[in-house]
Amino acid sequence: MKAVGARLPRYDGVAHVTGQTQYVDDIRVRGTLWTKALRSPHANAAIKRLDTSKAEALSGVYAIVTHKDVPHNVYGHLEALGIPADEPLLAVDEVRYKGQPIAAVAAVDEDTAREAVDLIEIEYEERAAFFDIRKAMDPDWPNIHQWGPVYPHFGSYNHRRVRKGDIDAAFERADTIVEGVYRPQAIEHCPIEPQTALVVPEANGRLTIYSCTQAMYFSMGVVAAHLQWPLNKLKFVGGTVGGGFGGKVDTASETISALLALKAKRPVKWRWTREEEFLVSSTRAPWHMELADAVTSDGWILGRRMTTLHDAGAYARFSPYGVTKHAFHHTGAYTIPNVHFDGFVVFSNRVPTTAMRGFGVTSVSFAVETHMNRIAEVLGIDPLQLRLKNANRIGDTTPNRVVLKDPSTVPVVLAAADRVGYDLPAEYKSMTNARRSGDLLPEHLVAQLGEPEHSSNGGGR
Amino acid sequence: MRLTVNGEQHDLHSPPLTSLLTALREELDITSPKAGCHQGGCGACTVLVDGEARRSCLLPLAAVDGAAITTLEGLGAADDLSNVQAAFDEHYAAQCGFCTSGFIMAATALIDRTPKASREEILAGLSGHVCRCTGYIKIVSAVEAAVGSPA
Repeated sequence: MKAVGARLPRYDGVAHVTGQTQYVDDIRVRGTLWTKALRSPHANAAIKRLDTSKAEALSGVYAIVTHKDVPHNVYGHLEALGIPADEPLLAVDEVRYKGQPIAAVAAVDEDTAREAVDLIEIEYEERAAFFDIRKAMDPDWPNIHQWGPVYPHFGSYNHRRVRKGDIDAAFERADTIVEGVYRPQAIEHCPIEPQTALVVPEANGRLTIYSCTQAMYFSMGVVAAHLQWPLNKLKFVGGTVGGGFGGKVDTASETISALLALKAKRPVKWRWTREEEFLVSSTRAPWHMELADAVTSDGWILGRRMTTLHDAGAYARFSPYGVTKHAFHHTGAYTIPNVHFDGFVVFSNRVPTTAMRGFGVTSVSFAVETHMNRIAEVLGIDPLQLRLKNANRIGDTTPNRVVLKDPSTVPVVLAAADRVGYDLPAEYKSMTNARRSGDLLPEHLVAQLGEPEHSSNGGGR
Repeated sequence: MRLTVNGEQHDLHSPPLTSLLTALREELDITSPKAGCHQGGCGACTVLVDGEARRSCLLPLAAVDGAAITTLEGLGAADDLSNVQAAFDEHYAAQCGFCTSGFIMAATALIDRTPKASREEILAGLSGHVCRCTGYIKIVSAVEAAVGSPA
């Protein structure tokens, strides 16, 4: 354990400061073609006509791909987890978000590729776009997704549910109900390296794919699925990522570049512009969260009702997974014995949303921590004391029934208080995360207590 | 057009309105200046033009004909890092590394011009350079260390 606390040199530090680190855009392969995409200018439209013939005739154009060139066009990012497919790689007869790719061109340089994109003839029939996810359940919701307004495949439900304890009894016993609505907005990851892929067709029939993905094997699976190829025909080269933050988990540029490389029989590079990165790349989702807590006047949280709407954008991608994580964390670092949670993945005409740093959890943490302050304010209780009182302790069970072995709420809150010079009464300062007893084990927390599982391998994790 | 890049003379054949960034990367295969935005907004393409830090994505080749260009490759090699390079390495100022070349070139120009640059002058000298990983604190610490170290 010599490394803990030591200042060790970064393994890639010298390469970074001498310019020797090779990002995808720095790989040089002779004869590489450049890519530009035809993207939808509309948030919601039918495609009435698509004709690439003039673009194909342009000198310097080597290949153009549309949905007709994709062996398996509609694929879901989480099919391996049983989440069905809903998103076409290249749009077929409709577009559901601004910037959705419809066709892509590989040409001798970027200018020629851009010129060819302009020569592609396309006609749209614009439709009303839908952005306000709070209206997804309204009867006049415009039909924008083949599955309806929300993702319908959470087992037999159309939402992620968590139920524990007796929520009605908790609300009946409460001295006060504290309500709050929290709406964190979308965030673009904004890596300084834009999305870039370089695909090289090899003489042995394989493809070498230089990728900036954060999720190498995942991206291999996505490309293989669209091409309907076995994995052993794909060689992925990557691991050097010029910033990702979750925004390079979706496979954004590799598959289309691969199709172009196969059709052109030449190496193909696709480097997104900053504008594409901002307008078209997936973002962190906007969320809408409604909380109501049943509280006692001395600061116990007896129960929580929560409804979450997650803006998936036009397609599901990873959203069902994000909402599941969100659901599991909806009581935050605190023990609430009675809960009733419903989380919906709502479809809209915004760009699809995706992972970003603590996917699904940052939103709920923002809501929970802000709500804790609100409860403290309503009850006139010190906000850190409220947190310490309701903190997770050894033996407490989370909403999805994990018995906690070593929860860190108490030491973290105490350390934070100490660092900012926040004075707490002695009985709070001396708190630990030990199993509940005495004043910390009121009647309403008895039933939820569990026995932490004992590890069978001698305590190793 | 003729450029001296990292001490070597090159005759370039790219069209005169090609950006210096594209000419360096695509004609000369000098890849440390990065194409982060192509619109002067991120600073990742910064190089020294006759000793001054400039955004190579905004400079047409014709505007720098005859100039001496220094890129990160023209500073110290791996076994002979410049003060600024060594400080960036030691202070963990490079995380993903994509913005690093631009930051080091800007800091190098700043220290050449203002050897005893204050913290405020460092912040001003690095303004307009975008780093998404570090939160800038480690970068500023590295430049402060480079200012304090003997040349």
